[in-house]
Parts: sequence; structure tokens; C-alpha cells
Amino acid sequence: MAATRPAALQPESAYRSPNLWLEALRNLRHSPSALLGMIIIGALVIIAIAAPIFATHDPLKTMIGVPGETGRLPSKPPCIPILGCEEPQHILGLDLNARDLYSRVIYGTRTSLSVGVITISLSIIAGTTLGLIAGYVGGAVDNAIMRLMDVVLAFPALLLAISIVTILGPGLTNALLGITITFIPQYARLSRASVLSIKEQEFVVAEQALGANPLRIMLAHILPNAITPIIVQGTLGVGTAILDAAALSFLGLGAQPPTPEWGQILSESRNYLFTSPHLVFFPGIAIMITVLGFNLLGDGMRDALDPRLNRN
Amino acid sequence: MLKFVIRRLTFSIPVLLGILIVTFTLARAIPGDPCLAVLGERATPEICETFFRRNGLDQPAPIQLLIYMRNFAQGDLGDSMRFHRPVMELLVERLPTTVELGAFALLFAISVGVPLGVLSAYRHKSALDVGTMIGANIGVSMPVFWLGLMLAYLFAVLLKDTPFALPPSGRLTPGANPEPFYIVAGWIAEGAEPPGLLRFISRINTLNAVLTLNGELLVDALRHLILPAVAVGTIPLAIIARMSRSSVLEVLNQDYVRTARAKGLREREVVGKHALKNAMLPVITVIGLNFGLVISGAVLTETIFSLTGVGRTLVDSITSRDYTLVQGFTVVIAAGFVLINMVVDILYGYLDPRIRFN
Repeated sequence: MAATRPAALQPESAYRSPNLWLEALRNLRHSPSALLGMIIIGALVIIAIAAPIFATHDPLKTMIGVPGETGRLPSKPPCIPILGCEEPQHILGLDLNARDLYSRVIYGTRTSLSVGVITISLSIIAGTTLGLIAGYVGGAVDNAIMRLMDVVLAFPALLLAISIVTILGPGLTNALLGITITFIPQYARLSRASVLSIKEQEFVVAEQALGANPLRIMLAHILPNAITPIIVQGTLGVGTAILDAAALSFLGLGAQPPTPEWGQILSESRNYLFTSPHLVFFPGIAIMITVLGFNLLGDGMRDALDPRLNRN
Repeated sequence: MLKFVIRRLTFSIPVLLGILIVTFTLARAIPGDPCLAVLGERATPEICETFFRRNGLDQPAPIQLLIYMRNFAQGDLGDSMRFHRPVMELLVERLPTTVELGAFALLFAISVGVPLGVLSAYRHKSALDVGTMIGANIGVSMPVFWLGLMLAYLFAVLLKDTPFALPPSGRLTPGANPEPFYIVAGWIAEGAEPPGLLRFISRINTLNAVLTLNGELLVDALRHLILPAVAVGTIPLAIIARMSRSSVLEVLNQDYVRTARAKGLREREVVGKHALKNAMLPVITVIGLNFGLVISGAVLTETIFSLTGVGRTLVDSITSRDYTLVQGFTVVIAAGFVLINMVVDILYGYLDPRIRFN
């Protein structure tokens, strides 16, 4: 990051040794969990972008009456080529509506990744803004914002998201909004704590003495110093957000049929668990791998970006 | 210590008030006319006017909020629109299922997670350590509802005719109708209305079985509890294992542990008496934080294992738009969550004097 910074900006950021980011990157490369996480996420991003190439069929098309298809419904014993069945055309078999399960799972990558990333980005923006204001302004404003955050945190996250979606109505966008709200307090608390510790330091006091605009101080000086824990928390948060979104869809409150979303696919097929377990198995595995990727990367980043851990 | 407890108690009051205000506002934000929602076709303007007056809905919002708070303080959560019964009664009937499930899930998470974490730290970088950490990473990444479904398939279908088979739904074998302990003990005559607390306790099947010394019932209840409790407890287990590991690792490097070893204490005493005591502090916090996860997990798991607990009722009520029930259950769960966090904080202050005096 330091390498791409224009020279003119260098003096301003001189307090932060440029080696820190490079070192973090080097640490990240040496952390097996971060590497594995990056590989998983990278692969998923490629799958999501190139879903039409990876998918063998249209995820929304029912295969009944299509030439060359048996139109086999899962009430009959499922035929899964990947498990050694001789029916070549569907890698993971068909779902309850005779749609290609593999293609649905592939397209589901798009939904889940975007839900995870959008939710966390929105809550980071909202939470960091609130935390910066609370920490910088202090006093009654600080109290009001942070007590509100306490109340939001008092609700178990999924329960609050469910309540919000009840009011807004079921749907992916509303689920996304509900989950976003549950995540805001984390980032507000993190950024506020950073602001409080940085606000009193000489370089900020000096800037204030020079008469700099508070907005400029917050964005140019405080935020860059507060961002590291937020990035780490955010990476770990994406996994949780994906899990929450899948849970809401599973309860029928998130993505609606026929959208290919992993939680939704699971919800559709869970009553057929005892006859067609494959319909439940694969979307769950997809969720698990995705969440695992973000968790591994987040863990690796935490270790890499925390200079205190560099004892050796 | 008393000062600390009082300070912590006063700190919870604004949060509890906030919860009431938020749920009150959320309930009012629900689109649609409550009169129409409750009375449906019978809702003529005159009837609605009476309905509004009787439910205090003709009052200004702040007055309504005060009435709502007063009722809450008196344990009145209103009547469920779907069941036409007091929400409090439904809570007494269904909360025990969730409490039992949550308690066993947490018990499972702690009794497996803490020893695993401690052993991994003690045998740092051994196969056990690496295995535990890989397992923990996978554990936190699994969707609860998916794990529940997979466990149900494994134990109810694949292992069907083996001794390991476990029931995939319900709390007891169908037809089992255990006598509540207060009737067995002769405290309350059959047919009489027992107090809510007794009914609540009697509905916690395992506790009722122990109180009535009914071994068969206990085994049956436990067999039905294993799968949902494992499903709900897996994510907390993974988190607790990781936390205890890193916490013990940190403590084992401290000077006082080295001193204890240098004094020639036996290893068991070094780890058990010196290291674990201090390492368990952050673990207790994490256990407290996991109550939220347990509740979220219970909502999903009850749906899968057909348990009529708070979670499943809540989700069903959302689809049928039973707002009073949703509001009442949400408030009670959130308030319970705050209380549990408070107890954890107080416990933490008791165990670590530094917190108390800060």
C-alpha cells in the first residue's frame, strides 16, 4: 500500500512506518491459514463471476419435458453421477423442481458472496461513522450513540434480524438490511475505542492547534489509524453474515424462490432429508466452505496485522 | 463487591428500558391496522373503536409506552392473536423446552470445549492441537440448521437399527405423558391449577424426571435431547475451545508459572492450580457471550427437530403475523440475555478483583 502512495502525501503519513503494511503482507504470506483462506475466497470469487461458465444448466430451468432428460424427481432414488451413478448429465442430481442442483449451487455463490460483502461493507460504513462521531465529539452525543448500540447488542443477532425482517417483509434486500443493523455496534465500538486512544496523541492535538477541520482530522488522521482492527473484524464478519443470511433464507425470511441461494435451497429440500439427503448436503457444504474461507483469512489477518504478536 | 454489583445492576436498567422502547417501536412500525389483524372480517369501525379503547390504542404513543411498561412490570405481555391466550402462559409452556435445550447445548460445549482447549494448549503444536484447531475452524463455519439436519440423517436413518440410533424429532417418545413432579409429590391435587413456576419446572423434562425419580423418562428425554443439543452446542464449543487454548497458552508463558515449576511443584499443580485459574477468566466471558449464539441456534434447531420451544413458536408467529406474541417473546429473550450478561459480568468481577476496582 505504501508503495502506491503519491510522494506528496508521504510526510503526512510518515508516522506510520511504511514497512508495517509490507511486513503484514509478508506475515500473511507465511500464515498457512490466511493462504488457504485466500485461495478459497479467490476460487469462490472466480466461480461467482464466471458462474455461467461453471454451471452446466440454467439454474432456474425445470428439466421436465426437456429432450434427453429423465425428469427424475428426487422422490425416486436419486442418481448422483459424482457418487458413481451412470446418468451423466447432472453432476449433483436434480432438485425437487427437477432443476439442476449443481448449477443452482454454483449460482448461489453469487448471492451469498454479495450478501456477505455488502452487509459487512454497509455496517462498517455506518458503524465506523457512528463510532468516529461518538469518540471524537464525546459527551452527550457519545452517550446517546453508545447506549443505542448497547441496546442493539442486547438482542441476540439472529433474533433482531428476524424481528426487523418481520416488519420490513421477507426478501433478500430486507434480510440484508436486518443483518446489517445487527453488525453495526461491533464496528461502532471498535472505531470509537481507536478514536479515544488516538485523539489525545500529539499529532492530532497538533493538527487541532493548526486549526484543521474536525472532519479532516477524523478522516485523514484518525480513521487510517483505526482501520486495522476494523478490517480484521470485517473479514471475520463476512462469514457470520453469510451464515445469518442463509439462516434467514432457511426460515423463509430471506431470499425467495426461485432465487438460487444456499439457505433457500436447504429450506426447500429439508422435508425430503430422509429420501434425498444430497439435496441438503451440498448447499450446506457450500456454505461451510465459504464461511471457512473468510474465517481462515480473518484469523490470519489478525495475526499478521497485530504487531504485538511479532515476538519472534 | 456489593458496590460493584449495584453499579452493574444500575447499568442494566437503561439497557432494559431501551429494549422495551425498541420492541415497542418495532411493533408499532409493523404495517397494517392491528384491529383488522386481530378481528379480521368482524372489524367494523364501531367495533374497532371499542377495540382501540380497550387496548389503550386510542392514547398518544408515549402514554401507550408507559402502559406497556407497566403491564410488562406486572408480567402481562398481552394476549396472543393466534392462540387467543395470554403470551405469558404460552411462555411458561414453551420456554422450558428452549431452556433445557440451551442448557444442555452449553453443557456439551463447555464440558468438551474447555478440556480440548486446555489439552491443545498444553500439548501445543501436537497432533491433538492441530486437529482441535482444524475441527474448531470447521465447527464455527457450519450452519447450525445444516448440522442439525445432517445429524438427524446420520443417527435416525443411517444408524437406524444400531444401538446408536437416536430420535430425530420431538422431546419424548410419542404417547409419553409424564406426571409433573408436583402431582407425584402430592403438593397439588390433580386438576387444580398449579403456580406458573411449578408448571415451568415440570416442563423441563429432564429435571422433572430427576424430581420424580423416573429413570426411564430421564433416558428418553436425554436421548431426544442429544442431537439438537449437539447441533446448537457445536459453534459455542468451537469458540470455547479456541478461547481456552489461547488463554492457557498465554498463561503458560507467564513468569509465575515458571516460578511454580522452579519451586518444584508437580506439573498437575502448576497447570491445575496456577495456570488454569487465571486462564479461565476470559473463557467465562466467552461462555457468557455464547448465550446469544445458543438462542439463535435454538430458533433454528427447534424448527428442525420439531420442538415446540420459544424459537419455533416465534418463527411460526412471524408468518402468521401474531405481533403481540413476537413482541412479548422478543422482549423476554432480550431481557434474559441482558440478565445473563450481567450475571457473567458480576461473576467475572468476583473472580478478578482488578475488574471490580476499575
